[in-house]
Amino acid sequence: MATRVDPTFFKSLEKFGVKDWKDCYHCGNCTANCPLTEEDTLFPRKTIRQAQMGLKDKLISNTDLWMCYFCGDCTKTCPREANPCEIMRSIRRYQTSVYDWTGLSKKLYTSAAWEIAVIVGIGIIILALFGLFLPPSAELWSNPARFINAQGGVMINNLVDGISGSKFLYIIHYGDWVMALIAGGLLISNIFRMFYLTLWRDTSVRIPLTAYVTEFWRLVYHFLTQPKLRKCDDKSYWLGHITLMTGYTIMFILIVALLPVFQTEEIVPWYNWQRILGYYATFGILVFLIPVIVGRFRKRQCKLKHTHPTDWHFIIMLGLTALSGIAVHIFRLSGMPLETYFSYVIHLAILVPMILIEVPFTKWSHLAYRPFAIYIKALKRAAGRREEAPIPQFA
Amino acid sequence: MEEVRIGVYVCWCGNNIAKMVDVQDVAMEVETLPNVVIARDYKYMCSDPGQDLIISDIKKHRLNRVVVSACSPRIHELTFRKALEHAGLNPYMFEMANIREHVSWVHNDREEATRKAKSLVAAAINRVCWHESLEKRSVEINPATLIIGGGISGITAALEIADAGKQVYLVEKSAQLGGFASKMCLTSPFMYSTTQMIRAKINKVMNNPNIQVLLNTQIEELSGYLGNFTTTVSEDGRDLELKFGNIIVTIGLKAFDPSVIENYKYGILPDVVTSLEFEGMLKAGKIETRDGRIPRHVAVIHCVGSRNATYHDYCSRLCCKNALKYANMVRAAIPGANIFEMYADMRAMGNGCEELYSVTSKKNVMFLMFDQHNGLPEIRKAGPKDNCDMIIELDEKLSGERIEVPADLVILMVAIEAHEEAKRLAQVTGVSMCGNQFFIERHPKLDPVATTTDGVYVAGSCQAPKDIPDSVAQARAAAARVLCTISKGNVEVEVTTAEVNEDRCCGCQTCISVCPYTAITFDEEKSVSVVNEVLCKGCGTCGSTCPTGAIRAQHFTDLQILSQIDGLLEKSMELKEV
Amino acid sequence: MEFEPTIVSFLCNWCSYTGADLAGTSRLKYAHNIRIIRTMCSGRVDPTFVLESFKKGADGILICGCHPGDCHYHEGNYKCLRRYHLLKKYIKQMGIEPERLHLEWISASEGKQFAELVDRFTGSIRELGPSRIKEVVNTLS
Repeated sequence: MATRVDPTFFKSLEKFGVKDWKDCYHCGNCTANCPLTEEDTLFPRKTIRQAQMGLKDKLISNTDLWMCYFCGDCTKTCPREANPCEIMRSIRRYQTSVYDWTGLSKKLYTSAAWEIAVIVGIGIIILALFGLFLPPSAELWSNPARFINAQGGVMINNLVDGISGSKFLYIIHYGDWVMALIAGGLLISNIFRMFYLTLWRDTSVRIPLTAYVTEFWRLVYHFLTQPKLRKCDDKSYWLGHITLMTGYTIMFILIVALLPVFQTEEIVPWYNWQRILGYYATFGILVFLIPVIVGRFRKRQCKLKHTHPTDWHFIIMLGLTALSGIAVHIFRLSGMPLETYFSYVIHLAILVPMILIEVPFTKWSHLAYRPFAIYIKALKRAAGRREEAPIPQFA
Repeated sequence: MEEVRIGVYVCWCGNNIAKMVDVQDVAMEVETLPNVVIARDYKYMCSDPGQDLIISDIKKHRLNRVVVSACSPRIHELTFRKALEHAGLNPYMFEMANIREHVSWVHNDREEATRKAKSLVAAAINRVCWHESLEKRSVEINPATLIIGGGISGITAALEIADAGKQVYLVEKSAQLGGFASKMCLTSPFMYSTTQMIRAKINKVMNNPNIQVLLNTQIEELSGYLGNFTTTVSEDGRDLELKFGNIIVTIGLKAFDPSVIENYKYGILPDVVTSLEFEGMLKAGKIETRDGRIPRHVAVIHCVGSRNATYHDYCSRLCCKNALKYANMVRAAIPGANIFEMYADMRAMGNGCEELYSVTSKKNVMFLMFDQHNGLPEIRKAGPKDNCDMIIELDEKLSGERIEVPADLVILMVAIEAHEEAKRLAQVTGVSMCGNQFFIERHPKLDPVATTTDGVYVAGSCQAPKDIPDSVAQARAAAARVLCTISKGNVEVEVTTAEVNEDRCCGCQTCISVCPYTAITFDEEKSVSVVNEVLCKGCGTCGSTCPTGAIRAQHFTDLQILSQIDGLLEKSMELKEV
Repeated sequence: MEFEPTIVSFLCNWCSYTGADLAGTSRLKYAHNIRIIRTMCSGRVDPTFVLESFKKGADGILICGCHPGDCHYHEGNYKCLRRYHLLKKYIKQMGIEPERLHLEWISASEGKQFAELVDRFTGSIRELGPSRIKEVVNTLS
């Protein structure tokens, strides 16, 4: 069945970043040059072609571009300066918005005002919740020494009048759970939609049920080690990315699952595991973030030349989260309870919107979509293999 | 007969010959042959000292024949003939033995190569004994020129020649000058108004006293040869005899008829139009469907009849850049239209064309590639739900998808074909045609305006599909060639022609039937064949056909070639026995 | 000692002779037995040239002209082709193996084909052995 072309389709893609999509004339240098292309994964050229021709359904059901790590080599070798890397990024944003059933993702990607409003809104809600239910103790100003523990640090869970340390801790702990559940729930529902759009909608492809089990290891393996990125020519990119990913994941586990042992009343010695992990996570985030910020300002590397507003939002939010977290830590160690309280509140007012916005709706969602795309690709291949299997011959 | 005194010169060609052939041995061997006065070997015979050696020997030893054994005569025969002329000898008293291309470069065995060289030199010596002095001849050129076809090429050539003050007869089959270019709206890629350009040129032609324009006229037959052609045309019912010295054929082209390609449904669907019909729309200033609506989707299909084994293998050259021009003009006229360019390969070459392609690709034009060999796009009438008039279905090559494209207006970029009169005029003028019925030039690279018939030149699209600048360039080149012969006043003609010995001729007329140039006529009174030395090209076919041996192909006479064979085989046999 | 045939070849000036020149400029190697004679057109190759060559001891004769349609003189090669077929019959009656006469089209760009043709033809004549016609003629006269 022939698919109808749609010459106006790219108008809707333009909002997701790239403006010049007509330059590509399909010489195929990008595909030839890319270390990640495979026989059945011919990006960026083929993906760009689908976008150019407005083959919307084909583009949506195409999981190929999630195999890309946006190293920028294609843009470097493009003879038409069509910037395939940026086109791919824009299509990724578009696909993220398509997977999201709430429609919020599209709003956030296509309107910077919307995104800022949502982030600030959630931040204000967090501030308001603290102001209403967990206000700072008046003694923070009059008698700060009351909040200092034996090690000379701030007793972080005891800064609110009338709420005991353990109760405060669990309020925050359950709050984190609620946040994680909302973000995770939305993300999981979007992943189901991704499965529908890329796999289940096409009823002609029959996936053997066993494949769901036998191919599952790829999901975990690719999530944890990102072997595809290692194939890219710039190996430092893989190192930075994996440091960030592990740092972020460790921090996420520390605050969502292990908050009671992470946010303790006493200051544990620096060699304790929770503190070492915490330092590693902070280090991982900064190691990635600093070169990216510098690169995006300098615009020398192909992959960092073009920046969509949401890229900046993400960097700023992540950076501020890290910085405010570091501030809380320093104030706490140096026995400054008033500063600790306020930096803690600000830290949460940045962290919560970041997780709620970035994880299910915008950039951060790729942490799930990419390994799932690899999983889906493996399932499709399994289905293809089954079709190609030789028919038994009876003599 | 005077005593034959031959000088033989064996060239080393540096190491090229000397490495594989013992040149000194060759020279020593042939010196003993009868009539050979002197035989020498030398490093480079073609160099100035080498030629001086021959010249001084001719004078010193009273040589009257020279044999040079060196490279191919196709390279240096003329050089040595000039040297002979310098020394006062007739240049045709010379023969060359090719011992480089045919001996030293192609053999490995030095002994055998030397033997072969000896026999080839002996053959040349035997042949040169029978060489005769031949005198150069020339014919006078009638300064008038006939130009067949009044398109842009014909008009340009006519103006060029007339501006030099020479008479031109410009013959046009139709009722007006201008040809195909006048049917175009704007040129591509630089968008000049073709109409204005052509009109200005036609006015100049009409007002030029040196140009006689003959409209509604065809050339039925032609007689004569280079410098002196004659034809009769009818003007206003009376016969007019034209005499001229040169002919430029500029009959132009014909557009391909797309109705033979079923896929495109040309003639069935009203809004499938050819590029020429679309040019008509552009000239009329409105782009619309047959029933007067403004098209929302415009599709341009390239290579209609070109580059396709079923129709024409060749590329028509103009279509890609014109198709890009259409995309730009449709975009300017209907900013909201969806424009599709369906191409097999984008071949917009030439000044400004790649730039036009780049500009067009930024104007929201969708370029779709199809595969000529695996099915052309197919046009069908759209259904009620499609929201367009037609649907074009094709296998898009770059995406690998089968797609549907909506269309309200489809423009077919039709191929350029040879003119329907080409075959007839080829016979009339004696110009050769290629398989596609385009005229063949004398040399595809080095002589692109002359033809194998002297005095007949070609220009424009009758030779191959050409755009206006190329046609104009070729027309001016042809005009320059014609003016060269006119200003010289006469031309040298082939010396090595055939010659009839009237005493021997039995009047069988076999030679007349084999001559490809109709250079031989029959003299009824004497009952013998007569060769027209201007028309004869010296191929010698008549000579080998003549049953009585009455025809001699000069410089390739039976006697010369037979003695060459004798010399060759005698030496070969002699060396073999040793 | 192996039999080394003597082969006379008539090449037209415009295509085949130029093709043989190209074999030389391309430094292609071929059998040394061939002796080339230039004519303006393959149509100039008179039957007497062929017969005279056989009489004088040629073991094989190779005629080359332009490909059909490419003749510099329009159609001299066709004339040659007609004559060739007649000649083959004629030499057979005279007691010469018709395989000793061969006609092939060689264009100016076919240096490689020319070299291969010479090797092939020389090989086939070598297999045929020496031509007897020279002895016969000598005996008769």
